Formats: sequence, structure tokens, C-alpha cells
Amino acid sequence: MKKIKRKFLILSSLAIIVLVVACSKKFLDKPPLGTLNPQIMATEKGVQGLLIGAYSLVDGEGTSGDGFASGASNWIFGGVTSDDAYKGSDPTDVAVAAPMEKWVSLDATNGAIPQKWAMGYAGAARCNDVLATMALASDIPADKVALIEAQVRFLRAFYHFELKKVFGNIPYADETLTPENTDNTVDAWPKIEADLTAAIGGLPDTWPGEPGRANVWAAKALLAKVYMFEHKYTDAYPILTDLINNGKTSGGAKYGLNDHFYSNFNPAQKNSKESVFAAQTSVQDNSSVDWGGDPNGNYGDILNFPYTGGPGACCGFYNPSQSLANSFKVDAATGLPLADPYSGPAVSAESGTGYSGTLDPRIDWTMGRPGIPYLDWGIHPGIAWIRNPTNDGNKSPLKNVYAESQKDAYTDVGSAYWGPTELVANNVNIIRFADVILWAAECEVEANDLAGATAHVNMIRSRMMDHPEAWVKTGTYDAASAAYTSGANADNYKIGLYPTFASQDAARTAVRTERQLELAMEGQRFFDLVRWGIAEPTVNAYIAREKAARPLKSDAHFTANKNEYMPIPQSEIDNLNSDGTEHLKQNQNY
Amino acid sequence: MRNHVDYLLKGKKHLFFLAFFTLVFSSLVIAQNRVTGKVTGPDGKPVFGATVAVKGTNIATTTTTDGSYAVTMPHNSNVLVFSYIGFEVSEVNVRGNNTIDVGMKLQTTSLNEVVVTGYTAQRKKDITGSVSVVNVAQMKQTPVGTGEEALQGRASGVTIITSGNPGGNSDIRIRGITAFGNNSPLIIVDGVRANLHDINTNDIESMQVLKDASAAIYGVAGSNGVIIITTKKGRTGRAKVSYDGYYGTTTHGNGYEMANTQEEANAIWLQQLNDGVATPTHPQFGTGPTPVIPDYITPAGAAAGAPNTDPATYDINSNQITKANKIGTNWYNEITRNAPMQSHNLSVSAGSDKSSYYFSMGYLNQQGILKYNFLKRYSVRANTQFSIKDHIRVGENFYAFYKENPLFGRNQSEQNSFTTAVRESAIIPVYDIMGNYGGTKSQGLGNSGNPYADVARTKDNKSRNWDIIGSVFGEVDFLRHFNFRTTFGGVIDNNYFYNFGYVAYENAEGNTGSNSFTEGAGYNSNWTWNNLLTYSNSIKEHNFRVLVGTEAVNNYGRYSNATRANYFSENPDYWILNTGTGAQSNAGGAYQSSLWSQFGKVEYSYAGKYLLNASLRRDGASVFAEDQRWGYFPGVSAAWVISQENFFKTVTFVNNLKLRYSWAKLGSTSNVDGTNPFNLYATRLGKSAYDIAGTNTGPVSGFYRSNIGNPETTWEGDIITNAGFDAVILNNKLDISLDWYKKKVSGLLFTKQGPATAYLFGGQDAQQPKVNIGDMQNTGIDFSATYHGTVGKDFKFDVGGQITSYKNKIVSIPGLPFYDEGAVRNTILQREQEGKPFGSFFGYKVIGLFQSADDVAKSPTQDDARPGVFKYADINGDGKIDVDDRTFIGDPNPDFEYGINISFTYKNFDFSTFFFGSHGNDIYNNLLYFTDFPDFFKGAIRREAAVNSWTPTNTDAKIPLLRTTGGFSTDAAGYGSSYFISKGSYLRNKQMQIGYTLPPSLLSKYGIERLRIYVQAANLFTITKYEGLDPELQSQPDSNGNIFTTFEYGIDQGSYPHTPSFLFGINLNF
Repeated sequence: MKKIKRKFLILSSLAIIVLVVACSKKFLDKPPLGTLNPQIMATEKGVQGLLIGAYSLVDGEGTSGDGFASGASNWIFGGVTSDDAYKGSDPTDVAVAAPMEKWVSLDATNGAIPQKWAMGYAGAARCNDVLATMALASDIPADKVALIEAQVRFLRAFYHFELKKVFGNIPYADETLTPENTDNTVDAWPKIEADLTAAIGGLPDTWPGEPGRANVWAAKALLAKVYMFEHKYTDAYPILTDLINNGKTSGGAKYGLNDHFYSNFNPAQKNSKESVFAAQTSVQDNSSVDWGGDPNGNYGDILNFPYTGGPGACCGFYNPSQSLANSFKVDAATGLPLADPYSGPAVSAESGTGYSGTLDPRIDWTMGRPGIPYLDWGIHPGIAWIRNPTNDGNKSPLKNVYAESQKDAYTDVGSAYWGPTELVANNVNIIRFADVILWAAECEVEANDLAGATAHVNMIRSRMMDHPEAWVKTGTYDAASAAYTSGANADNYKIGLYPTFASQDAARTAVRTERQLELAMEGQRFFDLVRWGIAEPTVNAYIAREKAARPLKSDAHFTANKNEYMPIPQSEIDNLNSDGTEHLKQNQNY
Repeated sequence: MRNHVDYLLKGKKHLFFLAFFTLVFSSLVIAQNRVTGKVTGPDGKPVFGATVAVKGTNIATTTTTDGSYAVTMPHNSNVLVFSYIGFEVSEVNVRGNNTIDVGMKLQTTSLNEVVVTGYTAQRKKDITGSVSVVNVAQMKQTPVGTGEEALQGRASGVTIITSGNPGGNSDIRIRGITAFGNNSPLIIVDGVRANLHDINTNDIESMQVLKDASAAIYGVAGSNGVIIITTKKGRTGRAKVSYDGYYGTTTHGNGYEMANTQEEANAIWLQQLNDGVATPTHPQFGTGPTPVIPDYITPAGAAAGAPNTDPATYDINSNQITKANKIGTNWYNEITRNAPMQSHNLSVSAGSDKSSYYFSMGYLNQQGILKYNFLKRYSVRANTQFSIKDHIRVGENFYAFYKENPLFGRNQSEQNSFTTAVRESAIIPVYDIMGNYGGTKSQGLGNSGNPYADVARTKDNKSRNWDIIGSVFGEVDFLRHFNFRTTFGGVIDNNYFYNFGYVAYENAEGNTGSNSFTEGAGYNSNWTWNNLLTYSNSIKEHNFRVLVGTEAVNNYGRYSNATRANYFSENPDYWILNTGTGAQSNAGGAYQSSLWSQFGKVEYSYAGKYLLNASLRRDGASVFAEDQRWGYFPGVSAAWVISQENFFKTVTFVNNLKLRYSWAKLGSTSNVDGTNPFNLYATRLGKSAYDIAGTNTGPVSGFYRSNIGNPETTWEGDIITNAGFDAVILNNKLDISLDWYKKKVSGLLFTKQGPATAYLFGGQDAQQPKVNIGDMQNTGIDFSATYHGTVGKDFKFDVGGQITSYKNKIVSIPGLPFYDEGAVRNTILQREQEGKPFGSFFGYKVIGLFQSADDVAKSPTQDDARPGVFKYADINGDGKIDVDDRTFIGDPNPDFEYGINISFTYKNFDFSTFFFGSHGNDIYNNLLYFTDFPDFFKGAIRREAAVNSWTPTNTDAKIPLLRTTGGFSTDAAGYGSSYFISKGSYLRNKQMQIGYTLPPSLLSKYGIERLRIYVQAANLFTITKYEGLDPELQSQPDSNGNIFTTFEYGIDQGSYPHTPSFLFGINLNF
């Protein structure tokens, strides 16, 4: 009997062990590691952090589905689509961007278009998340709530504006949008205007020490830009006048044009007085490409460097077109743009005799071309830096590049096969002051104020004319000031001022040409062509000029009333319309 | 509500145990009867170490050296079971006798072999489920470095896809693909969750694969099947010492047939001529009617004596001087070698009735055919068992290894050297004139990396693992019919690595920048604790066993790594994190999860004829919200041994026939993680930090919503039904086993497509939860057969084979009826669609090449159409080729896979060979993208493409016209085309060996029991129509080389090939 007792004891104790484990419910509570819960977020610090998260997509990178096509510079949607630039590289490298040059093969399944769409709506979702989380927080003072909300509404308007100009018919993703009430046939402009108006009401004059935040002037500028897209010139003009007279940067500097044109593209001079709103970038901040992507440098333009040589050694995309180079030809006597710059010898011709006349000095701050110094990287060698010269010509992008003397200080470091040296802390200008001045000129043209328009265009041209020391020279480049400190002019430059425009038509042409030259390779051109209603003739004329030499363009053709906007991504239509109702309607003729 | 549910569940638990105690007390009866006797073999000699057990109890003993035994039988037991390896198990009814002598017969069938299945051991003939029992002896014959590779083709229903990479991971799938994502089976080693990868195959005693209801006892972990491994234990008797070793060489294989320098140059000329360039030009090959091969490629196209070719002017950055390889570099040969491999394994084992031990040491050194690539593993195993009194046993299984296995690059990717070997131009030499690397920085030659430089630069990288895998157990027999066993064990994996990133100055891309050094470490751990209570009894013809148990499983791991840039010296001795002077970054991660389970199982048989097994498991998993955590997984299987029926006794050619049927519900949590139930936020520099202050290097870190939770998510449920039979026929010479199964996965854990995943609602910015929707179904047949024959006195042979077939069908995908898999180099190749098998290739169907302008004009309108390019099929017949004409163009799933094993012995000679094959699968050869379309990326060209592409005079060609700029008619605008699809069937001889066992008479004076020597060839030949390096293609691994999913499955993106090895080996026993 004793034996039985002992066995029973063993058994009972085993059973107890089993039960103890059974009861330890805690054993199954394994919260995810390395994450934050919503309660932590619903505090002032949390909400401020979410706001930073909402800002962090301004550079066009940092959400799932992003890519080269979502970059803040809009190099694909605003540049390659226009007469500014070729896609570059081999035609089938980032082949999804080739249809933006050819048009005929552009359809709703194209892989580049969801990148931009994804970015815009991720930005909007983060904005809405800030508002929703802030509503749960109880420790945020009212004045801070107002400041946060104003920034959120600015950002939400910005993200939608980016979508609007690319896709045309977009749903406005504010906190009231649901899958059921989604309808992209409702005009989004009023909501964009409303968010910006609210932002203007709440944003401060400056943000000391935080130039990356939007101030009231940035919001006004964006609202003016919205009006320009809506052709509401009379609404835009007073805002533009206010901006020109009183505007200042978030850092507190009164708006003005930098003496040196290239200062606008120099990482050492970012957030200058000319910077109205820019995507902020940073490098060497632990977000290197080595770690699997999502870096904070200017990732959108990471491909847009000369091939094999020069700063990045990769990847040979976004090559300025021959047409763009030619458009910088100027009259030898007046220094004004030619009426037809595209006939006659080509600037830096790939073969035969090239153009030897006078050029607007901005050309060599806009592109690298053979024989001309490429910042301090030496003389641009032409096709030796081009991936596929047949399609890409012989010129390289320049406005997103950095100087050799700036390497390491403004570039990322790492050992990825390619990437670190093309990742730059070079801000992407979203609105710069020159842009504002030229909108004012446009408004004046439309109001037939020819003197005003002339004055504003000449204001832009004077910067270049008044500072010949800031023209590209054969000598030493000083990256601190974005100017060469020695040597002769690298080419035969000339720039002059317009006499008062003779007619509204002449003024309109001059303003448009000025925008083309001043803002070339800044991702603005295609959107300008569309809002001016001249995309089809301009792009098709450009294709006609270039197709003989460029196999990729051999069957290119821009279709009016279709190609002005990108198609809505098919996957998004499939997802939204999966309930059987057409919430997303495809853009016309796609 | 939640508390109420808990209370109910707890209440049930109490009931459960109450019932169990009642069972215990009802069996308390005591009485005894002592039986003695002697066990002899067929030759009349005593059998030493045979097990004598009292049937239906845990009472057992072993025979002494003279074959005698003594056992005390409880009162109402009267059957003794005698067993010994190699002999038939015999059962003897004592009928009150006190002396029982038994003559054992040699085993002619394996039906009495005892195998471990789901927490219990059963004789093969009592198994009711679909269980593949691996022939371990045959399995060990294949000389490979990992457990998965050894298992390939050895178990019906199990698909293993390996690569030639020593120590590389393999795809393991049991009965096909049944989930979008992880399909890996559960691996149990000595009762605890472990892994197969680094096991020393010499230590394996037995290996079983549970494929149907037999896996239901593992509940939520059983859905993808269970592989159960038992390692060796010491056997009763004197110490046995074994040495097994081999040494050999893996040959480097044939590589690719690429164009030489002249052919490549001609092809470049042809490209331009085809595109109407009257006078072709190229930076290297000049300008003119024919290409001129230069003396130098840097300076580009330079002739001897040209400026900057004087070695005195050499500068690695500004004036690298590289001579042209005028004949052509064979890059495959440059990166590969004949690689030695060796394995040595020494084991000692012994045992008595009180204790036993098995101890082994293993050393494996498998050099890869890729230079500098290798696997070295040092391992030790110590398994011991002790009996404390008669009824208590304790023991442990311990395995530790140290391994060095640096990554060779990522298999199946365009960066690894097997891929760059088809991308780097033939004219580029390995070295420039100063012995630095040559490369694509020489103009006009594409953008590939130098394949040899890439390999050579990895030679000082380190990757090391220290692992301990093991378990301890205690077991007690009590109250005659009861056994309680507790097992605790698991895996501790420590990994450590460092690598150096050199600046590849020779490449077209990334030739500037900084060098950098990365160092990191991490650990993964898991433990399992299970407690099992077993009751077994036989009452007359009724045999039954009842098992109840609990199990707790815990997983936890962390890692961290760091990088610094700008190392002044690239000498490996200088590489520590603080000697870098440039930017630094770091990363880390952690995970945890747990599982708590209770389960029960009943095994019942009546008269050896009717067999019934039933099991039920209740699992609680931490990855689900508290309300959804618990799931029940039942399984039932039954078998009818029809050959035992009287009416069947007349069918004399059938020795044994068993019909089986099973049904079970299993689950899976493989594709869901602990973040799933929660709404979460995260901070990540690239996603949520912003340089709001414009500092260039100091962004402010913000937050973003990282996860959208779904507290409703619960188990993925699989219903698996299986019907089959096992037969032994023709006088025990032929064993056949056939199973038909249907595995229906419902509530597949899947991210629901629809508005929630739309970008519009931020559905891609945050990770969407997995929800229980989506159905998939596999049906298939597993078949295996073995024939044992004897011819004359000395010739014995065995022929065996197994076939696995599965037909996969996606039954439903929620939201949209399809989704596309991620793009491979911007090209979408695979679409998952309802009604189609997983991973189906999707794109345009090429019906030929346009032959003339007239042909183009008569064909449906197609963008970029011209003579010599692809003519796509107008699938919807609307007269134009557009996205609506994409269709399913191939299926990566094979119709069946098979293994064939043939062996024979003649006197002292033995021969064995093993074939493995796959039939009916398609391969998408994505390397053709690089080799056949020089317009895509310049660089090397496949010889066939260079010399036999379409031209107006070579219209029979299959390869489209070479041109300078691609377009829709060759690149299909971001989708695949059938041009890249090949038949993927193959049959490979995995191993073949001839052995000779020295006559014992020669050896006995040296104390040697057995000495066998053999020569072997592995991967000797492969029969296939596939033209790539190797038709056996695994899924894309992650950046650490792990294969978790079936991502990019069936696509050749550059895989490490299997090549023939030749070995010499010894088996020695003392």
C-alpha cells in the first residue's frame, strides 16, 4: 500500500505541474517586439512624431510601393513626359518609364504610375492619422493643436495637388472618405483649396530652426500654384504680389533670388531665401541603401547621374534632350531666346558640326554637355558618360548633382553595389521663388499687363545677367558659393533683358519660354504644358524632331485628350471597384 | 465575455483530468508470475540483447550473452513479445508456463519495424495514417552536407529542391504548395522542435514523414506535414565503434556556352546593322563595316602604343590600363574549380540494461565549386539513457555543432557570380595590366560586375554558427499500464558574421564610394516542453493505447549588426568596427511567440485486423488575439488489414494488405506573426524620419502606422483526407504503398485584396493584417514500391521507387480573383488566380517570329512589330495585341516527382544507385533576359544568340533579331513571354556507388568487425531538355539565404548548379 501511495504522490505532483503550466495564461501573451501601441501615440510627443512621419513623404520616398517614379522631383512624370529629357539608360532598364517617352504603350497596368499614386495617398493617410490620433490625445494645448492641424492640412493639400496634376480625376482622401463614398468624378480642387485656406489661417510666419516645416507663405504659394492650375489668375495674383512683397522663408529670410543660379541646387546652400518649399533630404543618418532601402537622401533621383564616370558612376538616366539644349540658343545681339531654336546646328551635336553661337548661360547649370566643366568633376566627356548614346544623346542631368569636393559631406556612404554615391543631401525644390515670380508674370499676361509681365520676366533674367561671375567657367569650382572662382567662360554665353512685350501673344510666349529655361529639368515642364493646353502640339513636335535619331521614340505619339493625365492604376481600380460599383473611373480614353 | 469563456475552458480542463484520474484508479490490480527462457536465432545460436516485453505493459528486459532472460509478468498478462533488430517480432502466449524458449526468424518484411509517429511509437503494420518511413541506410548514401538534401527523393509525398551550394538551404514541401507563403513542415528531433538543416545524417536512426491525419496530433503546426527524426541510441551489448568517411572531389561542371570575343563583337555589329545603322560604331570595336578587336579595352578601343597605354601612366582611378582578351574570357571557368569534399564520422555506442550511450563526432568539409565557397561543420552528439530501478528512465540527447558557411551571394539573383558569369563580356580579362581587376568600367561593355572579383572579395568574410540542439527526458512506468514521460529541449542557434564591402573600382557602376565593414550577430532559440501520459493495455484481442499530453513551445530571437565606412586599410587584420572613419549605421530586431497545447490520442486495434486511431489537440497560439487564440484539431484514421481475414487467406500471393482512410483538420500559423492582432506604430528612419531642420545628416525621427491589426484573425484550417493501401505481396518480396489525398486549405491566412489594401486608404503604407480567407486545394497521389529479390545464392537485389504527384489549385482568392506576384527585374512573371495552380507563369504567348513586312501587315496589330521579333498570340481575337492578350504560359509545378533506388549485392560486392526526377514542370529562364537580348543590357551574349539569331537570311532562327533598342515585341512591356519558358523535366542520377566488404576472416585478427570500401559518384548525369545550368531551381531565398516561402518559384535567375562529384569512402566497425 505504501508503494501505491508513493506512486499516487508522483502522479499528483506531475498533474499539478501540468495544471500550473495550463493556468499560466501569461505564457501566451507575447506582445510584438520593437513596436509602439496606439496609447503611446495619443500624446503630444506621439502626435508630433506622427506629423514628422507625415512630412517624411514629401520627398516622395518612404512608403511601400514607392520607387524612382514617386520621387519629389517628378523627373518621370514632369520631365521625361515633356521635351525636357529622355528617360535615359537602356530602353528596357526601368522599362516602366519608357512609355512616358513613347506614349503609345502607356496603359493602366504600367508599373511606374502606382508609385506616384501610392506616395500621394500614403501621405494623405498619414495626415489623416495625425488628426485621428490627435483627437484621442488629451495633453495637447489648443494652440499646438491648431499649429499641428494647419501643417497637416497643408501637407494633405500638397499630396493631393501632386496627385491631381498627374492623374486629373482623383478622390480626395480626407477623414470622410470611405470605400463606399469614393468617387473620383468629383472635382478635388475645392477640397485642396479648402485645406490650404485652413492651413493659411493656422500656420505661423516662420519656423525658427526648422526650415523644413511649411509656414504661412509656403501655404500661400501652394494655393497660388493651385489657382494657376485652375486658371484662376485673378485669385492667384494678389497672393503672388503678397508673396513677392512680403513673403519669407520658414527660416525667416525674405524671399529673393539667389545671386548664383546654381545655389538653388547646391546641398551646401539648401533652404536659401529662394526656397519657398522644398523636400528635405539627409544622408549618413543610418538609413543607407545598404540596409535595404528607404534612405532619406534624394532617392527619387538616385538614377539621375552620369554613367560610369563622374559623381555617381551610375546610372545614366534622365538625360537632357537635344531639344532642351537647343532651346538655350540666344540671339547674339540681344541675348534673347530664338524664335525657332530647333532649326540649324544642334547644341553640342552628337555628330557633324555643332552650334557655335551664343547661349543662355543657364544651360550649363542645367545640364552637363561635352566639353563643358561639370562642376568640379572635370570636363564632361560626352558619350563616355552616357549609358545608351543612341537613345540618350550626350548630355547629363546636373541640377540634382553634387560637387566632387562635397563628396562624403553630402553623400551617403556604404558598400552597396551602386547607390551610396548617388544618394545626396540635395533638397528637391518644390516651389522656389523664381517660380512665384513667373506665375505673377503669367497672371499679368492674362490680365494684359504687359509692362508688369516684362518686369517680372526680366527680374528672372537679371539674376543671370547681373552675375556673370556666376557663369560656368573653365577654372576652379567653389562648391560653397556655387560659382567658379577662376577661368574664362566655358562657352559663348549671352543673356539680355526683354523690352516691354509688344503684344499679349508675344508676352505669353516669352513667359512660357522663360519658365522652360529657368525651370528646365525640375519636373515642372509637362504640367506647365498641360495647364497651358499645349501639351499635344508641343510634345508631338518634339517627337517629330527627335524620333529619327532616337529608336525608342520611333513610334512615339502623344494623343490629345488622353495623355495629358496618367491612367489611374489598374490595380487600384480593381481594388476599389471590387464591390461592383464604379468608385474609380478610368481617365478618358485609357 | 472573455472571462466567461476562460472559465468554461478551465472547467473543461478540470473535467479532463478528473476523468483521467478515474481511469488510473480503476486499473489498480496487482499480481505476478515469473517467466524465464532462452532466445536463439535461426542458426541455433543465442541472441544477445533481444528485447523481451510483456505485451500491453511497459515491462521489458533484454537477453544476456547466452540469450537467456527472466521477466516477471503481471497477473492478467500472458503474452510476451520478443524483438531484435533484423528478426521477425514474435509474440508468445505464456499460458501459465514458467519457461518459454524462442527461436527467432530472420525478418523478411519491415512491417514489424517500430517507427515513431506523433508522440508514440508504432509498428509499421499498426500505422493507420499516411506515413512515409525513410530508408535511412539508403538515405545516408548520398554525400551531402544538409539533412534536406539527404531526404530528397527518399519519401513519397516530400518535395525537396536543393542547389549545389554547400550548406545552402532547400525548399521542403510536403504534398505540394498549400499556402501563399511559408510551406515548411514541422521538424521534430527526439521529441522536440528542431531543424533538419545541420543534422549529422550519420546520427539518424529513423526518419518518418507524417502527411495526413497522422500529423493532426501536432495540430496547428501539422498543416505542412511533420518530419520526425530519432537519433541513435546505444544498444545493449559491448561497445561498438564505427568510422564512416569519404573523400572526393566535386567537378566544376561545364558552365555556359557563351560567345567569344569575336562572336560578341559580330553580334554588336549585327544589332546596329539590323537597326539600319550603315556604319556601326562601338567604343571598343571601332567604326566601320566590321568590328576590330582592340588591343586595349581601357583606354577604350586603343591599339598597342596608343596614348595612355604606357604602364608608367597607369592609375587605378583615372587611367586604368586593361588589355583586351581577344579570344574571350570564360567567366564560368574563372569562378569555379574542382572542389574537394570530405566527411569523417566516428561513433561509439554501447549499452546495458541499466544504461546506454551513443557518442559521435563528425567533421564535414565541403568545398563549393564556386571559389572560396565552402561549408565546414564540426559536430558532436552524445545521447545517453539511464534506468533507475526498473521503471524509471532518464536520458538526454545532445547535439552541438560549429559551422562556417559564408554566403556566396544570393542564390537565384542577378548579383551572384553564376549570373554575372553570363553578363560579363568575354573581351574583359580578369585582371588589368597591373593585376587589378578588369571590368565594365571599360566602356561599352555593359554594367555587370566582374564575377571573379565578386567571389574573390568574399574570401575573408566570415559566417559562423554555434548551435546546441537537444533534449532531456524522464520517464516512469507505473501501475503496470501507465507511462509518464516528460521531455524538455530545443535549439539555441548563435550566429555571427562579418563582411567587407570593397569599392569595385573596375565596374561601370558604383566604382567610387567608400569601402565598409559590417559585423553582426544574432541568436534564435526555441524550447519545447511536453508531458505525456500513456496507458496501454491488451484485453484479449483488443489492444489499445491512450495518450494525453501537454506541450509548451516558446520561440525567441534577437539580432544586431553594424556597419562602418571608410577603412584606411583593406587588410582583414584591420577590420574592426571602430577602425572605420566614415558613416556608421546599425540595425537590430527581435521576435517572440509561444504555443500552449493539450492533446489526446487513442490507438485501438482488434485482432490485428481493425485499426483505429483518433486524436484531438487543442492549441493556443500567441500570434492571435486572446479571443481567437484557441483551436481544436481533430484527426481520425482507420485501417483494415484485409489480409488477416479468413476469406482472404486463400489469396496466397498477398502476404499483407491493409486499407487505410483518414480525415483530419490541421492548422498553420506559419504565415502570420505576432503583430497581426494589433494596430501598431513604428519608427523607421527611411519611412518616418525627416530632416525638418535642414541639417543634412540629422533627421528628426517620426512615427508611422506600421500595422493595422485584425483581432478576428484565427487559425488557417486544412482539411486533409487520405485513402490508401499498403501491400506486401509475392512472398514478401514486393512492398507497395499507395495514397490518394486531398488537402483543402480553407481560411488561408491571406491579406484581403480590396479597398483596405488600396493605396487610396493608406492600405500599403501600413502592413495589412492577415485574415482567414482564400482557399487552396491540393490533390495527389503518393506511391512507393520496393522489390527484394534473390538470384541464386549470392546475388540479392532491391529495387525501390517512389512517386509524388500533386495537383495544386487556388480555389478562391478573396476580393479580386487574382493577384500578380512581385516583379522580377520590373517584369511580372507570375499570377495567382482562382482555378489555376500556384505560381503559374503569366504573360504573352509567342507564336513565332515575324518573317516579313507582309507577315506583320497580315497579323494582328502589335506595337513594335517588325520582321524578326516575336509574334504574340491574339488571345482575345480582337485583332490587336495588348494587355488583354496576356495568358497563362506555364506551370512551375511538376506533374510528378520520383525517386528510384536500385541496389544489389553479389558476394562481397555491393552496388547501389539512386535517381531523382521531376516531370512536367515549366521553367522560366530569366537569364535569357541577359544572354539573348543585348539591347536589354550590354555585356556577354549566349553563343547561340550571337551566331544564330533571326536575320532576313536566317529565318528559321528561334532567337529574335538582335537590335539596339528593345520594345514591346521583345520585352512585352513589363510582362513575361513564353519565349523564356522551357520544359523543366529532368532525371538525375544523385548517387551511384560500388562497394566491397572485406571478408571477416581477414579482419578478425585485427579486431575489426567489418570493413567496407567504396567508390561513389554523385550527380553523375542529368537527363533534361532544359538548356540552363541546372533544371533544379529553388525559390528565391531572402538576403540571409533562408527559404521561407515559395517566392519566385520555378524561375531561373542564376542558381548554384549541381555538378558531378567522385568519392572514395570507408565504413569501418570495431
